[in-house]
Amino acid sequence: MPAVTSATAGRGPGTRVLGIETSCDETAAAVVDGGTVIVSSIVSSQVDLHARYGGVVPELASRAHVELLTPVLADALAGAGSGPDGAGIDAVAVTHGPGLVGALLVGVAEAKALAMVWDVPLVGVNHLEAHLFASLLEQPDLGWPLCVLLVSGGHTLLLEVTGPGRYRLLGGTIDDAAGEAFDKVARFLGLGYPGGPEIDRVAREGDPAAFAFPRSYPGDGHDFSFSGLKTSVVNRVRKEPGAPTADVAASFQEAVVDVLVTRARRAAREIGARALCLAGGVAANSLLRDRVEEACAEDGIGAFLPSRALCTDNAAMVAAAGYWHLEAGDTSPLTLGADPNLRLAPTA
Amino acid sequence: MRLLALETATDLVGAAVVDEGGTVVERSHPGGRAHGELLAPAVAEVCALSGCTLADVTALAVDVGPGLFTGLRVGVATAKALGQALGLGVVTVTSLDVLAAAAGEVGGPERAATVVSVVDARRGEVFCAAYRFGGRAGPAADPAAGRDDRPEAVAPAELAAWVEELGAAGPVLVVGDGAVRHLDLLVARPGADLGLAAELTAPPPAVLARLAARRLAAGARPVPAADVVPDYRRHADARIHWEERTPRRSGSGAPP
Ligand SMILES: [Zn+2]
Repeated sequence: MPAVTSATAGRGPGTRVLGIETSCDETAAAVVDGGTVIVSSIVSSQVDLHARYGGVVPELASRAHVELLTPVLADALAGAGSGPDGAGIDAVAVTHGPGLVGALLVGVAEAKALAMVWDVPLVGVNHLEAHLFASLLEQPDLGWPLCVLLVSGGHTLLLEVTGPGRYRLLGGTIDDAAGEAFDKVARFLGLGYPGGPEIDRVAREGDPAAFAFPRSYPGDGHDFSFSGLKTSVVNRVRKEPGAPTADVAASFQEAVVDVLVTRARRAAREIGARALCLAGGVAANSLLRDRVEEACAEDGIGAFLPSRALCTDNAAMVAAAGYWHLEAGDTSPLTLGADPNLRLAPTA
Repeated sequence: MRLLALETATDLVGAAVVDEGGTVVERSHPGGRAHGELLAPAVAEVCALSGCTLADVTALAVDVGPGLFTGLRVGVATAKALGQALGLGVVTVTSLDVLAAAAGEVGGPERAATVVSVVDARRGEVFCAAYRFGGRAGPAADPAAGRDDRPEAVAPAELAAWVEELGAAGPVLVVGDGAVRHLDLLVARPGADLGLAAELTAPPPAVLARLAARRLAAGARPVPAADVVPDYRRHADARIHWEERTPRRSGSGAPP
């Protein structure tokens, strides 16, 4: 068992990392001090650009990143009392995967150019790992081990985290990600994009017990499956076209949250977690947040629900992750590439 | 003056530095799709080889395409960030102009009345432009003065017909990876006295650097870093499909 490091140890205050995030449809830059304090954080969302297509269009996302990166970077630097000369910035961290390869490359190219001009280290960051660091930004003294449920449009993962940057994968989805199921069901129901917030909104007016949609618990471990649920919703609505959309949305959301919380709770118990932590865009879902809080209160462990702005993609979490890599002497060469399928390397 | 040029429009990835005295240092990598990996090290190498750091660079240039979208974005994003951090604008040059300038440097105007730059646009299309050098032949000339540009990707058959037409004015020299790929179609046209500059398949970084330096000397204004964008010459995929599927959708349906 590796020694547990306090999140406040290391170079500490005064070490500032610029983070850059372009893995999907948010162009973001942020400056974080000492791995825990957000000095500035700018997120420019392309949601409106992709909404009409009901999903992120990779080529449009890549083009938008190129146009947005200069103003977003300028704002993040200015917000941190720095400027184009990078005064006070000690390293540049950038998401280099997983994500859309063309989008990732824009951020990686930008990060390399800045690191070269400012003559500071470059740190490649795994986007999923960055999500795990979002919690440290708001609660640096969470205590270990943590059980993290990372749920987004692209991922559904359960992890054990034993320290900054030390984690073990417990389980994941065997088909659709939870956020993907939200998007697909929302599209089918004629709701807007992105689907998560839309279903969250509509479900408030509906009866979560109106339809008994199936809960799937694949295997004996901590894996998830959502494609059966999605199909079941589609079949049900086809059979019963008059079914109130609010009831369908509420019953669907209830089923997703049920599965997520049941599995996360069991995993937290198994690893003896001090707290259960949410991360990723779906962590902004109000029902999920309520249920996690209730469950943790029942189980006598901490519940940590990052603010909505830190659940969705941002660059502060990238800068935070970058800080801990910098601490560990783990910097990247100028040959750093983008890896759309980059996996979380277990380190716990 | 010390100008750093970035080239990523085609399979070739590279950088070049040209100094006040016209000395050029170039580093390029042929082939592959590793633009993201190769460009930054090439920049570091050319700076080291020319005995300077990025802080000594006084001008930037980038090939904005047309060409490979992902490659262009690597070059343009790098140029924008360098420009922003160094407080410099960027001289933007098209891949077709660089190819034509390269043909000019190897005696193209003596060999032909017209040079046609052809960049492979993939999906069975090409980007192209024709250049008449006229009396402005030689390494000092800017080919843009005699340019006839095609604003969008065209079918190789259309290019072949155009080349045959241009052949009426004398021999035609074709350059670029698009010309190599579709050479069989081009030579099948009997109307043109056709030559291929086989050594010029990709825009050379050194030529880009020299051409940008000449344009700066001639009074060209660099583009502010925030405003530099690739010259795609093709709509993004989604938009094309959208228009095909719902040509008359009204209201909020029209893409931007
Ligand atoms: Zn994410």
